[in-house]
Amino acid sequence: MNGAAIETVDLTRRFGRFVAVDRVSFSVERGEIFGYLGANGAGKSTTIRMLIGLLAPSAGEARVAGHDVRTAPEQVKRAIGYMSQKFSLYLDLPVRENLLFFGGAYGLEGAALAARAAEVLEVVGLAGHDAEVTGALPGGTRQRLALACAILHRPEILFLDEPTAGVDPIARREFWTLIRRLASEGTTVFVTTHYLDEAEHCRRIGLMVDGRLVALDTPAALKATWVPEQVLAVRGRALAEGARAMAQERGVVAVEPFGAGLHLRVDRATWSAARVKEFLAARGAADVRVEPSAPSLEDVFLAVVGSSTAPEAKP
Amino acid sequence: MTRASRFLVRTGAMAAKETVHVRRDPRTVWLALGMPVLLLVLFGYGVSMDVERVPLAIVDDDRTAESRELARAFTAGHEFVEVADVDVSQVEPLFRRNEALAALVVPRRYAERLARGESGRAQLLVDGGDAATAVRILGKADAIARATSLDLARRTLGPARPPLEARVWTRYNPTERSAIFLVPGLAAYLLAIGAVMLTALTVAGEWERGSMEQLFASPVGRLEIVLGKLLPYLALGFVQLLLVLAVGTAIFDVPVRGSVLLVFVLGGTFLVGMLGQGLLISVVTRNQLVATQAATLSSLLPSVLLSGMIFPIENMPWALRAMSYVIPARYLVHALRGILLKGNGLATLWPDLVGLAAFAAVALALATARFRRRVA
Repeated sequence: MNGAAIETVDLTRRFGRFVAVDRVSFSVERGEIFGYLGANGAGKSTTIRMLIGLLAPSAGEARVAGHDVRTAPEQVKRAIGYMSQKFSLYLDLPVRENLLFFGGAYGLEGAALAARAAEVLEVVGLAGHDAEVTGALPGGTRQRLALACAILHRPEILFLDEPTAGVDPIARREFWTLIRRLASEGTTVFVTTHYLDEAEHCRRIGLMVDGRLVALDTPAALKATWVPEQVLAVRGRALAEGARAMAQERGVVAVEPFGAGLHLRVDRATWSAARVKEFLAARGAADVRVEPSAPSLEDVFLAVVGSSTAPEAKP
Repeated sequence: MTRASRFLVRTGAMAAKETVHVRRDPRTVWLALGMPVLLLVLFGYGVSMDVERVPLAIVDDDRTAESRELARAFTAGHEFVEVADVDVSQVEPLFRRNEALAALVVPRRYAERLARGESGRAQLLVDGGDAATAVRILGKADAIARATSLDLARRTLGPARPPLEARVWTRYNPTERSAIFLVPGLAAYLLAIGAVMLTALTVAGEWERGSMEQLFASPVGRLEIVLGKLLPYLALGFVQLLLVLAVGTAIFDVPVRGSVLLVFVLGGTFLVGMLGQGLLISVVTRNQLVATQAATLSSLLPSVLLSGMIFPIENMPWALRAMSYVIPARYLVHALRGILLKGNGLATLWPDLVGLAAFAAVALALATARFRRRVA
């Protein structure tokens, strides 16, 4: 099938007078991992719920897997897999029964279902666990089972709403390895998260603030656009006085404590690493080491949120 | 795959999942199958409305052969047991201590009046604290008095025929045993608890857990969810019905004079209505705790109080009588008594079936409509 996996034009959802999602337009390519970022209440889940046919849009359009979510929600549902934010496996059932149920819900049955269930268990690394009661599994393992249930019917597009919320870092990394593997095999992945480090795994990222999509690009491009300053990581002793003085200087955008040291965001033209070292050493700092550092998505997120909520950025 | 076979696969998956839930939680099974038997035995033995062995105090002020004969007439059967032979002043304390529920007072000169050809006078004092029992005691006493006076008349007037002789013949439950009257009512009550409560809990549970959203995001349709939820509990309901019937006939000698198939047709229709009611409750409340309470209030109370299970509908004030028409248990209780005790067929019972079917249709339609509206 041709065309984008997901395409929205001015997608809007109002609840009474509250606009949860405000004229959002974007397009997700097939096989892409698309990250949808934002604070709680920014409209991420509402967007997902419209895209998977759970919630009717108030205005605008959305096509998922080539089907209009307004007029053909049933076709949309057959083409997608969904892992919801709220954990929704049946905890009282064994692993195998959960798989068989969700397979049946998507119309799989008999030997084909049994074979596919075994296959996805293998994929998510849960082979041999079929008889275990789901409620007894650790959080990260349950998450992988939920993913297994969502991919049983080989969906074209996978929607993951905060899939790693409340999961430990190692389990999160394993989970993302799985997601990248699915994407490399051609599945489009639309994922919401508020873990900014996870968003680095996405090919492109959309940033939601108060219902509006305020930035959309690859992680690298976002960093270049939103954090043009040089980020310098500073380590050393007795940095406090120098740091206070630094913050007053021209061309210094931010001075933030970072571990035992500092993170500086400075104008590239006026501040080099050598000049920073010299400046700090002159104000009592010792053993100063300054290294250029790449901006993180966290820097991007803070910059975007700061500019979007500033008075002049309001519509 | 055709539409129909997809429908069946999805409904089957729902029903199979629900069955596994039930199987994995033995409490549900015990609750569904153990409770009816327990309640049936408790009600069958405990809630006896039969007038049997009523403690009777005798106050014989006459002390003649005739007065003793009258007292014997009361205590000869199994209805009354003599507990005291006392002075009339002792009756009140006996009532207060619950040692006697009735007192037969034979005044002085009872035998003398009989001998003179006048009517003999005797009093029966009844503890009216429990009105229903008092009424039954009075009924029994009246019958005994009538039979005795007939005897006396024959003796004094010779073998003359009394001007009117009423021969009462109680049909269908000749020994007037409560169990036979109660079991059909209990069947309705037990089916109602099971069906409304279990569906209300299971569907509200899906909302609480968040899995309902997962279901809505899948191709499983609302009708498939409804059917998948209802079918296993319908099957469980049939097992309950069978159990209640078996216990009723085995322990309480409840007769099955009509068609068992008809019992299941009516019982099944009743169950569908109750399941629909449970579904409606859970769709509206979306919360297991609230659903439980709503289920209790809306199913148990009406099916006990307004179904005619214990209190005859004919004796209710018109407002309650009108209300009973929307209580499906009313139709089932009436129909079950008809089938089991009288051997009635559909020819007489079709209005009950229509009532049950109408309730089931309305409950399911409301539940499904409400279900759909909540999913924008």
